[in-house]
Amino acid sequence: MTARMQPRIIQLVGLGFTIAYAVFIIWIYATEPRTFKEVSTSAEVAAGTYEVDQEKFNSALNFFRREQFRAARVEWQQADPAQQDARTQFYIAYSFYREGWGRVYFDQELFKAGVEAVNRAIALSSTSKLTIDDPDLHMNTAAELKAELEQGLERNWSDVNPLKVLRTRK
Amino acid sequence: MPPTNRSRNCALVDSFVLPFLFLTVVLLGGLRIGAESGTFIFIAPPLVTLLLATLLMLLLVRGGLVRLHHWIGSDFPPLTNVAHIWTFITIFFASAQAFNSVLPERGLLHWLFSFFFLWTLWNNQFASFNARRLLRSLTVLFGTAFVLKHMLLTSLYSPEGGWLKRVAGTLLQGVALGTLDAPTFAAATGYIAFFTLALYVAGLILLAFAVNGETTVVTDLVVRESILGDPRD
Repeated sequence: MTARMQPRIIQLVGLGFTIAYAVFIIWIYATEPRTFKEVSTSAEVAAGTYEVDQEKFNSALNFFRREQFRAARVEWQQADPAQQDARTQFYIAYSFYREGWGRVYFDQELFKAGVEAVNRAIALSSTSKLTIDDPDLHMNTAAELKAELEQGLERNWSDVNPLKVLRTRK
Repeated sequence: MPPTNRSRNCALVDSFVLPFLFLTVVLLGGLRIGAESGTFIFIAPPLVTLLLATLLMLLLVRGGLVRLHHWIGSDFPPLTNVAHIWTFITIFFASAQAFNSVLPERGLLHWLFSFFFLWTLWNNQFASFNARRLLRSLTVLFGTAFVLKHMLLTSLYSPEGGWLKRVAGTLLQGVALGTLDAPTFAAATGYIAFFTLALYVAGLILLAFAVNGETTVVTDLVVRESILGDPRD
């Protein structure tokens, strides 16, 4: 009986192990990590243990407050390499907004990148309304930021209104 | 070998070693390394490789490497049937990825290579095969494709200008190679492809030797032929 059981156990364990291996391969091809570091980051995301690097996040926030938006984005991208944190993505979008905002015109490329980032932030916080409690910001919700960015991308007659130079950056 | 050890080893090879080998081929078959960035690039198997893999599976069944009636049957325990079906699936995807590793990624060459593979496999459907002949044929097929893609074409498209590029440049002066465009990858891609194909062929050899109930017939046949030579040769 035991002798008959052993091959069956080997079959079961082998089947379980190789199915898990196949799932890993499908996951690798679905996520397409580019480096071993990305493999481990994606694994952390999948396991639910992924966390933003708080030190880098704070450093980016300092850059942001000093209006060094590109440097801030570099730090935030390193703080959230998997782009899985709604708050970080919101700030990245905000940095695109502030850098792209101009009294006479808005930088379309930066605003487009901002819309992409704010969409990521909204998607990541789909269960609840994303609100950032930061007194330095004039727009505290992702919805407001998205509307402002999208408005900046629209072309209409108000673009030729000379009074628009009086508008303020949020 | 005592029957208990035999059955344990059979189960180990059937349910663990073979699927693991073939799944590793699935993992590595689509892996390329970027030439400049040195990052991983995963290329999912194109549709044509699934067609090629289907033809190859038919060949494996015809050649006796996969003996379906000894693998799956109503007399076998359900777990054995499931394990064998799973192994069969892994062989299918490993075959697709083995083709993926030797097919140029895009352009005219991709379709030329695909056409030649299709032609060869379709012709082989009507040839008489046994396990040994089939293994030999597949080794030569994948070996040739490997040399063509990872040695000749890599040399042709090398940014530094390999020896073949210089020869082609001399022979085809004034002829643009634009239609034969292919992406360039790091040298490590060739090593990965070699390892992948070696694993695939090793898996097929192991499959031929897999002591799977009555499949000892295949083993005996392969061993006898390798010692005495194929009587049909």
